[in-house]
Amino acid sequence: MVSSIKVRIVLFYLAILLVTLSVMGNILYFSLHRIVYAFIDSSLLSRAKALATLISEDIEDVSDDATFIREDELETEFNFSDEIMWEYSSPTSTNYFQIRRVDGTTIEKSASLGDSELPFYPVVHSADFQTTFLKGRKVRLVNFPMPKEGVNEIKTPRYDIVIQCAEAIEEKTSILSRFRMVLAVTVFFVVIFSAAGGFFIAKKALEPIRNISDAIDRVSETNLSERIADKKIADELKRIADSFNRVFSSLEMAFNRQRQFVSDASHELKTPLSVIISQTEVSLRKEREPGEYRAALTAILNTAGMMSLLIEKLMTLARFSSDRLILQMEEISLNGIIDKTLKLLSPLADEKRILITMPADGSKYSVYGDSEALPEAFVNIVDNAIKYNVPDGRIDISIRKEGEFIIAEIADTGIGIQEGELEKVFDRFYRVDKSRSRASGGIGLGLSISREIIRQHGGRIEIKSQIDKGTVVSVYLKGAKYE
Amino acid sequence: MRILIVEDEKPLADIVKKGLEEEGYAVDIAYNGEDGFFMAENEPSDLIILDIMLPVIDGITILKRIRKAGIKTPVLMLTAKGTVMDKVSGLDSGADDYLTKPFSFEELLARIRALLRRDSGVKSSAIEIGDLLIDMATHEVKREGKTILLSAKEYALIEYMALNKNRVLSRTNISEHLYDHDFDLDSNVIDVFINRIRKKVDRGFRKKLIHTLRGAGYMLKE
Repeated sequence: MVSSIKVRIVLFYLAILLVTLSVMGNILYFSLHRIVYAFIDSSLLSRAKALATLISEDIEDVSDDATFIREDELETEFNFSDEIMWEYSSPTSTNYFQIRRVDGTTIEKSASLGDSELPFYPVVHSADFQTTFLKGRKVRLVNFPMPKEGVNEIKTPRYDIVIQCAEAIEEKTSILSRFRMVLAVTVFFVVIFSAAGGFFIAKKALEPIRNISDAIDRVSETNLSERIADKKIADELKRIADSFNRVFSSLEMAFNRQRQFVSDASHELKTPLSVIISQTEVSLRKEREPGEYRAALTAILNTAGMMSLLIEKLMTLARFSSDRLILQMEEISLNGIIDKTLKLLSPLADEKRILITMPADGSKYSVYGDSEALPEAFVNIVDNAIKYNVPDGRIDISIRKEGEFIIAEIADTGIGIQEGELEKVFDRFYRVDKSRSRASGGIGLGLSISREIIRQHGGRIEIKSQIDKGTVVSVYLKGAKYE
Repeated sequence: MRILIVEDEKPLADIVKKGLEEEGYAVDIAYNGEDGFFMAENEPSDLIILDIMLPVIDGITILKRIRKAGIKTPVLMLTAKGTVMDKVSGLDSGADDYLTKPFSFEELLARIRALLRRDSGVKSSAIEIGDLLIDMATHEVKREGKTILLSAKEYALIEYMALNKNRVLSRTNISEHLYDHDFDLDSNVIDVFINRIRKKVDRGFRKKLIHTLRGAGYMLKE
């Protein structure tokens, strides 16, 4: 198939045009054909009738009381007057007649026929017209069975005599061939011009598409932050432009997230790497006691361990913030997830003698979520609640329903977060107090991961906090539909 | 020479401190921006190693405040932020040098030496006082071509005096630049060190280079 839209449009358009033109041409041609032949036929018929009148007058002259014409009587030559006959008498005339009996024998024929005969068809019931060839000329012929009682009494005809009247019609029908020629030439030029016009229109019609494609090229070549904002773009294509702009936006966001992630990750990895390098370099500067080497190696091991934890968390974050598809959404018990989380973290909580409460009023809440991702989100939140809590503190967990959302609230009695810092806690690698959280094993990615996971679930996390009183983290998740 | 490290990553700050101390520097550490600014203002440091991403006050802000307060101590930015814009912003805020993490400890040492040298108007890594030659790159001290063996602290003292040659240095001044914050200033350890390097540097030579100015302090002079 032709792949160019332009060529296809033009071909399609030409096909329609050709069909239309040929139907129209045929209608015109055959209408004219009918008009021309009707004209010829009526003139032929009137000639035949004139002859019939002459013949019947002749017969009346021969026998006044005859009710029918006998065969022998018809042998007689008719005395056609010269004024009527002159058009048939010249051998070069193009008007012919031949008078026959019904059996086909000729009674009389015009001089213009010469040696030729008009073609005869034996059974004729009424005036019958034909187009035929005579002496190499195209002629129109009428077979007119003469009514015995006179020209006007066709109702009860007697077919004793058949009057054949013919006329060369080339001259009269030449208008038809000329008309056909004119039609053909016209159609030819119309098609040529239409093809050219079609190409032009198709090109014009496709120009906005080229414009938009150019605009898209410009955006993707130069800068993803640019947008298609060409005034030349047609209204019909605005939607395409909008779609592309949306695609660019999400691409740009993905790119920026990716860039930010790479920059954050490399930044976070540079510091422990510096520790490892410095430890090694300083240790190697001179001979040392085995104890010193051991201390240096331990420090390096700890740092490397932290790096690997960091890398693992970074991968988790990258997974959850980039790939929407990995979530396997299913109906899942929120109570179950929180139970699982608490079981996982209870050693940590016990270490700090933190009491975790969760009212067991028997109500179960189900949400749509991924059975691996959701616990990860809650582990990070509860882990923070433990880390930033005071010894002998409390964590109160409650679940409630609000509209389409199921809300899990995790309230701690910890150190709290300052107003200005609240926004930042979700930032990657943000730690309210680095040295302190590092001591408790934090690397500042937990809440970022939680937020990404909850966001991928179509929910959100809200944080309220009071310094030295504690922090309340509310996780909004969409509830399972039939509850 | 006394160096202040402002760095919130404790393991990094600690190992850099250890390495620098082994080179004879006195080192103080501030683990956050607030302490860092306070110590930069109140401790007589010869050089400040400053991180940018710090809790409480960030490094760039500390740097601007230090310079606004008229403190001209050389500042070496030591940070993970390594883009050109980061470096430009750091240097424009008043930093004297910029080193990105991860760094080589040797390079850090070389840059520290260069900054200290520049600060005392010395152009090369070797200082000559008469026939005494002090090579700051190798920590080698020679007199009349003969190598003098010194401990790290003894070397630090002669280097400090050489960088401040022809200037009277009080005991307090010397101890402030040779010892970190935790050193007890009442101790007469400076006199002990002066006596030790005097034995090694001046004994057996006709011309004495280390001078005692009664009630004022010591001076290294040709």
